[in-house]
Amino acid sequence: MRAILKIALGIIAAIGGFLDIGDLVFTTQAGALFRYDLLWAVVLGVVGIAVYAEMSGRVAAVSGRPVFDVIRMRMGFGMGLAALIASTIVNVLTLAAELGGIAIVLELLFDAPYSMFVVAAAIALVGIVALLPFGGIERFFGYGGLLLLVVVATVFHQNPDWGEVGRGFIPSIDSSTLYLYFVVGVFAAALMPYEVHFYSSGAIEERWTEENLKENRLNAIVGYGVGGILAVGLVIVSGFLFHPLGVEPDNLGTVALPMQGAFGETGLLLALGGMLFCVGGAAIDSSFAASYNLAQFLGWEWGRYQGPRKAPRFTASWLVFLLLGIAIAQSGINPVDITEYSVVLAVVALPLTYLPVLLIAGDRSFMDRYANGRVASFLGWLYFAVIVVLALAAIPLLLATNAGGG
Amino acid sequence: MSATGRKRVRSAALLTLLVALLIGGSGCGDLSNDELNRGVESLSALAAQGRLVANGVARDATKTTYARAMARTLSEQAEHEAEKLADATLEEPGTADQRHAAVAVAEEISGLLSTLQTFPGDERHGELVEKHLGEAGEKADAIVAQLSGDAP
Repeated sequence: MRAILKIALGIIAAIGGFLDIGDLVFTTQAGALFRYDLLWAVVLGVVGIAVYAEMSGRVAAVSGRPVFDVIRMRMGFGMGLAALIASTIVNVLTLAAELGGIAIVLELLFDAPYSMFVVAAAIALVGIVALLPFGGIERFFGYGGLLLLVVVATVFHQNPDWGEVGRGFIPSIDSSTLYLYFVVGVFAAALMPYEVHFYSSGAIEERWTEENLKENRLNAIVGYGVGGILAVGLVIVSGFLFHPLGVEPDNLGTVALPMQGAFGETGLLLALGGMLFCVGGAAIDSSFAASYNLAQFLGWEWGRYQGPRKAPRFTASWLVFLLLGIAIAQSGINPVDITEYSVVLAVVALPLTYLPVLLIAGDRSFMDRYANGRVASFLGWLYFAVIVVLALAAIPLLLATNAGGG
Repeated sequence: MSATGRKRVRSAALLTLLVALLIGGSGCGDLSNDELNRGVESLSALAAQGRLVANGVARDATKTTYARAMARTLSEQAEHEAEKLADATLEEPGTADQRHAAVAVAEEISGLLSTLQTFPGDERHGELVEKHLGEAGEKADAIVAQLSGDAP
């Protein structure tokens, strides 16, 4: 029973960490612009994050080393530093976007100034982190994120042309740069580096060992799978409602409109509530990931379980990253714009994050019998090839499409 | 040229290219026909989005704080679009009439959304705004058709 509960908690945590502001925005825009045509890209991203989360969790459980420790060990100081700088920029931008996202949702719920809610969101995050243990933080945001299941209910309420939906899962390549930009965006939003940084460090926080490998696999497959179902649902509800009307969803609030259309105020509140918890969970994940990376790279004591006294530099860096996030979120730049840039810039940092994980997870001298098998190796290298291609294409596409503006 | 010199030249060239690309992508300068078209299309999209929000108000199926905040955001976007269209210099002077019409539509949409912002809990206002936003969207679509030469 305890094992089942642990798996359930991990699954819930994965849902909370997976659907961040980037996923909410990119998937909704993808549906509005291309109807169901990009569903395959969502699935591609979900399988990719599941593959790499499983690997990073396995490496952490077997070796006691989280991702950034592995990056420094495998790539040396110079490349490790490059990976640290790139991922820190992306993590801080993501954190700023998530804080802005929380403020926007609170603004929609309570109609008070955005800037006030950015500060309130940061204070609330500090309070939650101070009061709850690591597992409690995951459960708080994870359970809350389940409110977004209203998206799945909306899909069935809309009852779209299922044949057309099914065809969306078959990969197709459109030559337009905007389509390619959204392929990159949807894929990258699913594979944001902070997710594996947080996931593998979380495995250390929760003291995983070889005994937790089954739990790790179930978390990665089922947890991210459920998150993926919600992302697929967002594309479908957006494609069904927004595409025929020509709506361009460039506000976070627009994401909730299909649920309002289906279930009125109840649907709207469930959607906004779910978004609040998902974006809040992602703010925790990205801020912790930034501090984990820095502490692991510099060899500091780290971890929420250690508390501020035993890991003072880790705690201080977390607060500094939070302040940086607040400053960016308060700068007046639209959080949706920040997230679009951070998602596309993340693609460039992806190879530096995922190559060391892939190499170490496949190294039999290090992982012994827990090294990658044939399926994990094949999928890992296949995805790495996709990541490299997208990393090369990301910046030219960002510039060519004016960040998706056409 | 020394290796250091070559490196400097390469860095300068890359920087120049990046700045050129950023300026090119920033939307400064003259307004081409395509950009005017895109601007008017975005008005149609704003009107459609506003209609969905207004529909929630008309059906009493929304939360007033949500309707007010969304109406405010969309109204500001429409106003910003109106200013952008009014300020830009047209590359093709033959499209001046369409530009004026587009500015008027943008202001109409912004005004309707401001009304919704003022009365986010009033079903009758919701109904009226939904209807008028539909008409404003049709006007925007007609301008797009004129610009792309599809108008009768």
